[in-house]
Amino acid sequence: MYGWIWQRLPGKLGGKATWVVLLGIAMIALLWFLVFPWATIHLPIDQVGVGG
Amino acid sequence: MARVFIRGFGELCLTAGVVLLLFIAYLLWGTAWQASSAQHAFANQLNREWAHPGSSSNPFDAKPDALHLVTGQPFAFIKIPAFGKNWRFTIVQGTTLAQLNVSPGHVPGTQLPGQIGNFAVAGHRVTAGNPFWSEPSLTNGDLVYIETEANTYTYRVTGKKWVLPSNLSVLDPVPGHPHAQPSQRLITLITCDPAWTGTHRVIVTGVLVRAQPRVQTVSQRAPAAAP
Repeated sequence: MYGWIWQRLPGKLGGKATWVVLLGIAMIALLWFLVFPWATIHLPIDQVGVGG
Repeated sequence: MARVFIRGFGELCLTAGVVLLLFIAYLLWGTAWQASSAQHAFANQLNREWAHPGSSSNPFDAKPDALHLVTGQPFAFIKIPAFGKNWRFTIVQGTTLAQLNVSPGHVPGTQLPGQIGNFAVAGHRVTAGNPFWSEPSLTNGDLVYIETEANTYTYRVTGKKWVLPSNLSVLDPVPGHPHAQPSQRLITLITCDPAWTGTHRVIVTGVLVRAQPRVQTVSQRAPAAAP
C-alpha cells in the first residue's frame, strides 16, 4: 500500500519526501478536526444521560 | 502475490494502530482543548450579555430570573469549590453529546435554577475538560453555586447514589416519586461511573440554601464563602 503510493509520488527523493510530509499532515488534520469530533458524538464513550 | 496481500494487511494494521493512538490523544487533549476554547467563548458571551448585578443581605430575595434557554447556548455558571478554587463551567441548555462535549448541560424538562422541583445538570466525567471528574467525591455539606444573570443560587449537597442509566426517576421533581407534588428546590448532578463507560451514573443531589442577587461580575468574582 505505502510502496504503491510512494511510487506514484512525483519528483525525486526530496520531492517525494515533501509529499509524504504534506500528505501525513493532511491526514492527521482530517482525522483530528473532522473524523474524531464526529466519532466522539457517535461512539458510546463516557455516556452521562439517563433514560437514553 | 500472497506476499503483496500480507504486506498490505500488515500496513493496514499498523495504520489502524497509529490512528487509534492518535484518537486516544484526541480524547485526552483534543476534547479538552476544544471544550476549553468553547468555555472561554461562552464565558465571554455571558459576561457581555449579563447586566450589572445588585447586592443583598437577605438569604432569600432572589430577583425574578428571566432565563433565555436556547439549545446549545449557555445560560448559567456552575461553581463547586470542592472541585477547586477556580473550577467553573458554564451550563448550556441540552444534554446531547454535541452539547456535553463543550459544556455541562441542563437536562431539558427538568426545572430551572432556584425553582421548586429538580434542576438537573449532566456533565462528562472524562473528555471535554473532565468537568465532573470529581463528582463521586462530593460529600454532604459541599456547596454548589449556580450563577444566572440575576442571581446566585447556593445548593448544599444532601446525598449521593449510583444508579443504572435507565433510571429516569432521578429527574423527577421529587426524585423517585413521579407523581408527588414538589415542595423542595433541588439540584441533581449527573455523570458516568466508572469513568469512560456508560454502565452506571453517579447522582449527587442538593437542596437550595440561599438565593440572592448575583453580587460581582463573573469575570472578577472571588470564590464564594460558605453561608
